[in-house]
Amino acid sequence: MNFFRRFKKHAFKANSDAIFSLSSAYITLEIKLGLKNTGRSAMSIKAVDGMHFSVMREDIQHFLDASKTEFNLSYRTITDSYGYLWVIIEAKHMEDILAGITSIGDTVYEKGFSDKLLAAIFQFSNNNIESNNNNNNMQYLIYNYKRNNFYPFIPTGQKNRDTEQEMKILSALGQEVPFEKDMSFWYPMWDLPL
Amino acid sequence: MIFSFAILTLLYLIFLSVLAYLGIGYIPILLIASAMILAQWYFSDKIVLWSSGAKVVSREQYPELHDLVERIVARNNLSKPRIAVIDTDMPNAFATGRGKKSSVVAVTTGLLNILDTEELEGVVAHELTHIRNRDALVLTLASLFSTVAWYLMQFGFYGGLYGGGGYGYGNDDRDRNGGGIMLIILLVAMLTWAISFLIIRAISRYREFAADRGSAQMTGKPVKLANALMKISGTMRRIPTKDLREVEGLNAFFIVPALSGSTIGNLFSTHPPVEKRVQKLMEMEASMS
Repeated sequence: MNFFRRFKKHAFKANSDAIFSLSSAYITLEIKLGLKNTGRSAMSIKAVDGMHFSVMREDIQHFLDASKTEFNLSYRTITDSYGYLWVIIEAKHMEDILAGITSIGDTVYEKGFSDKLLAAIFQFSNNNIESNNNNNNMQYLIYNYKRNNFYPFIPTGQKNRDTEQEMKILSALGQEVPFEKDMSFWYPMWDLPL
Repeated sequence: MIFSFAILTLLYLIFLSVLAYLGIGYIPILLIASAMILAQWYFSDKIVLWSSGAKVVSREQYPELHDLVERIVARNNLSKPRIAVIDTDMPNAFATGRGKKSSVVAVTTGLLNILDTEELEGVVAHELTHIRNRDALVLTLASLFSTVAWYLMQFGFYGGLYGGGGYGYGNDDRDRNGGGIMLIILLVAMLTWAISFLIIRAISRYREFAADRGSAQMTGKPVKLANALMKISGTMRRIPTKDLREVEGLNAFFIVPALSGSTIGNLFSTHPPVEKRVQKLMEMEASMS
């Protein structure tokens, strides 16, 4: 049991390390591809019934309420039609976003729900394209907790994605962050609530 | 490349000395094989076009395709090859021809259907690089050894058959002796053929990477060729469309992905795995931007 917990703790530390690799990689995205971090990101956690989960949910909210001023962030939570709890946070600086996301991850881990963590999503917008539609040129990096790596997701309209631009993100970031090289794991997440 | 050729030459010499040691009249065999290889090379474009069902098309039939090829050719100071089209849904393309004048670039109608203009440019530039690098000649030369070995192998088989069927005739001693020599020839020929077969494939894979690089330099857009490769190979279809939240319950994420493309498979194939080619193209893309 002890060994198992230690193993899990170790695995979880790896999650945070991977996520923090974005703290420099987002600059690379801006330089190489002109993608700007919008300051919006989200975490999705598989919701389960029961008191423990709602306590955890309250803990997350307390934590975010308390750190509103420190990290200069705002947040909201929703539950989607798949039954996932979304914590959507918005902050000016990437560092604050990453701190927020990993802290929520810590809380989830401490409450014993780390296997319910699905993904963390980071939103970017393309500087080069004139923004005429609000959500049309948003590009995302999805961090998969179970695979412990990132992959790109660029939805274009009705359940289509811009694979070519996704490939460019792969080539820009492939060396800098833990990246999902097997494209058969590049699962989309349609209708993101960001 | 040089290493491969060195091994081929060495192999060739060993092969010849074994034959010489056995006192076989290898010169006639070699002459016939060389003549056949020369013929094969000289008529290569006609043979390939005929066997693939490709039809050389005029500017009137495919104006856009002709324009596209001319654009690349003009920008890169190459001579324009003939253009052929194969009527099949299977997306593919190839180049053939022994020199600059007799070269042909062939594409299938399936390829024209699934690729957009820039992706098609990437593929055509890849084939034009094959022509510019004279890859057909390189591979013909390389296959010289395996062809010679192949004919000897056939020869050895027949020899073996006659030797084996010779019970009751003539001197037992001589028969056994002859059979032994035949067996050695057969083994050496088979070994030569097998090894050169593998080396040819190694060279071929190397030429593919070189052609990808050439295409990237010609068009300046390696990502387009990468896209085309993924479309042709069906890798594009491997990018899932199902939502992550739907598949999460399948626990698929814990399974270590199966060894994709085993080493043995790599040894035998003439083309490198698409993933590797795409990866290299994307590295080029990254260094260009």
